[in-house]
Amino acid sequence: MSMFSPFNTTAMATETNQETGKLEFFLDVPFPSSREATVALRSLSPDREPRRGGISKQLSVSGSTLSVRWSADEARILRVSVNSFLDHLSLVVETMELFGPPVNL
Amino acid sequence: MTVVIGFEGSANKIGIGIIRDGEVLSNPRRTYITPPGQGFMPSDTARHHRGVILTVLKEALEQAGLKPADIDCVAYTKGPGMGAPLVTVALVARTVAQLWGKPLLGVNHCIGHIEMGRLITQANNPTVLYVSGGNTQVIAYLERRYRIFGETIDIAVGNCLDRFARVIKISNDPSPGYNIEQMAKKGSRYVELPYTVKGMDVSFSGILSFIEEAANKMLSSGQCTAEDLCFSLQETVFAMLVEITERAMAHCGSQEVLIVGGVGCNLRLQEMMGVMCKERGAKLFATDERFCIDNGAMIAQAGWEMFRSGYVTELEDSWITQRYRTDEVEVTWRD
Repeated sequence: MSMFSPFNTTAMATETNQETGKLEFFLDVPFPSSREATVALRSLSPDREPRRGGISKQLSVSGSTLSVRWSADEARILRVSVNSFLDHLSLVVETMELFGPPVNL
Repeated sequence: MTVVIGFEGSANKIGIGIIRDGEVLSNPRRTYITPPGQGFMPSDTARHHRGVILTVLKEALEQAGLKPADIDCVAYTKGPGMGAPLVTVALVARTVAQLWGKPLLGVNHCIGHIEMGRLITQANNPTVLYVSGGNTQVIAYLERRYRIFGETIDIAVGNCLDRFARVIKISNDPSPGYNIEQMAKKGSRYVELPYTVKGMDVSFSGILSFIEEAANKMLSSGQCTAEDLCFSLQETVFAMLVEITERAMAHCGSQEVLIVGGVGCNLRLQEMMGVMCKERGAKLFATDERFCIDNGAMIAQAGWEMFRSGYVTELEDSWITQRYRTDEVEVTWRD
């Protein structure tokens, strides 16, 4: 799935975790640098899911890739959360494109 | 010298403003306006903000003639307000704070209004009436907190006006409240409506239900015009607000009133409050639509005060919240 220029997004298909019975979705977003992936992580992680139950997600950075892992009870709830996240991600990326790169600290 | 940029988007206005030591350097804003008869929904509002926010940010910097390096602090609305729009704005604030290497500051929207009102009017220690589409509170400063003396027990006065406008399909451009005010000037017949003050508090859901139900009947029977209804609604709800403001002033021994929030633009409300103030020998303060309507500079101003008194928001703690009481913040910048 290629979505933003110059970033390419790789996503795995949704899987059902055999142990928990929950639907899982993994998203890996490559950034030009570890620093930029971390900027995105710290912008996207503070807010809680609007829906309290039935969905959770974990964000992490490894190298220059932002990884997101969702776990949901139902496909519908998963879809809403992933779509919302992608909107937010694209806003953060666009902000970084217009106002970046990050300053040297 | 301290320069703060403030991001605001908790309802249908998205504004970004820059303040340097009490001077407003820029304050661009956009409003999401829905067709007559429709209110604004969270996801549509967020989509609107998302579409314009980066343009407004560029404007704020250009109009102030500043570069990101000139900014000392990035302030944004932490809450209260609508969830999706708040997140949209917070995302950009967090991102630029990191890109520019500047500290972040989450601001209470209500306190933004108060601090802007204080800056513009230079009121010393007023009883504050904060009235908007989302909030209705009477606030007084005491011992490091903005204390809520009275408030609506259900909906905000602006919400009541906005929803009445929808019933009779008044235009939302530039805002339903503005159009109600213009129509009210042409009203002449006072229609009796429920008046609900409960001690220090007010209630608007009853008058709204009544007028929603009765409006179309009264209009089609020719009992009154839409202008008469606008007039009657304003007279009633504004009188309620004047009553609870006066009650708070009496409790606090206050000689100043400051009206903030979008409904504060209403000249009839200012006039009625002015009459009460005159009777008590008190002074009335109000700002114009640049600052009573939600804007970025008010967040920058509250941010300026907070930042200079030592506040900073860590990124992990920068989550937005739909509910955020005015008295939750310790007002460390006042005695």
